[in-house]
Amino acid sequence: MIVCVAVVGHQNNPLYIQSFTDADDALKLRHIVHCSLDVVDERVNNPKKSGPTLNETFLGLLYPTENYKVYGYLTNTKVKFILVTTDLDVKDADVRNFFRRFHAAYVDAISNPFHEPGKKITSKTFAERVSTIVKSFGMSSTR
Amino acid sequence: MGWEVSESCVDSLLTEMVSMYCNRLYANKPELAASRIDAIGYQVGHQLSERYTMERPRFTDHLDAIKFICKDFWSELFKKQIDNLKTNHRGTFVLQDNRFRWVSRMSLDPSENGDLSQENAEAAENKAAQEPNMHLHFSCGVIKGALHNLGIACAVSADPSHLPACSFVVRIKP
Repeated sequence: MIVCVAVVGHQNNPLYIQSFTDADDALKLRHIVHCSLDVVDERVNNPKKSGPTLNETFLGLLYPTENYKVYGYLTNTKVKFILVTTDLDVKDADVRNFFRRFHAAYVDAISNPFHEPGKKITSKTFAERVSTIVKSFGMSSTR
Repeated sequence: MGWEVSESCVDSLLTEMVSMYCNRLYANKPELAASRIDAIGYQVGHQLSERYTMERPRFTDHLDAIKFICKDFWSELFKKQIDNLKTNHRGTFVLQDNRFRWVSRMSLDPSENGDLSQENAEAAENKAAQEPNMHLHFSCGVIKGALHNLGIACAVSADPSHLPACSFVVRIKP
């Protein structure tokens, strides 16, 4: 079950954070997202460790904490997507699929001429699309 | 989710935008009009580059990003690629398009201008000479916005001396 998704801009400024669980965990989730940004930077700047996946957008499992798994995705424009999930057996293909749909929703939200680059994404349509994607992720992986 | 827009709509919109900024909003200040049009192009390029880099792996260096602009970005916008790319290997690139679509239908001969009276002939000639340049400000803004979004700070200028062939000079800031 996905508990949190976040979009972080190229100056590590948060563009969109949404948690899908009870409110008292929200602060901890934001802290996890913040820590994962360091891991993303490390992955990108250390080409020796990444090897063949140097230029891929999907960064894979960033790090597992005690209850959560954190996945990362870095676009060409240095925008990072962070996914926090509590599932124990998540398929790689599912996460890639999720990020692909999430990227499409993000691009559509960004193309809004009233959206200012660098500011938070306030579009309700984007929020609805994200919750649809999150819900369908849960359903396909628990089949 | 692909929508289609007629090309003549885009042409008309660009022409009207340039005309509005040059003749109504900043009538006596062509530099302000030019920078405003450039800024509009910048935002458009910023958003378009986000969309067109969606499925691609990340770029390794400046040359990759410029090649992306020449091939994929240009094909998405104009259905053709840049015809010639030159570089001095020190941060300057020249992108040449032999038939730049947005100015290909513009009349280039100032004597074809409808206004025939003597005292207005010179002003009309000046305006006609400025018009292709103003359109090119928009295109320069688009390229600049796209490159900035890919992490490359640069200055873009256009060389309109051989219309409809157009060269864009990209200078990467160190």
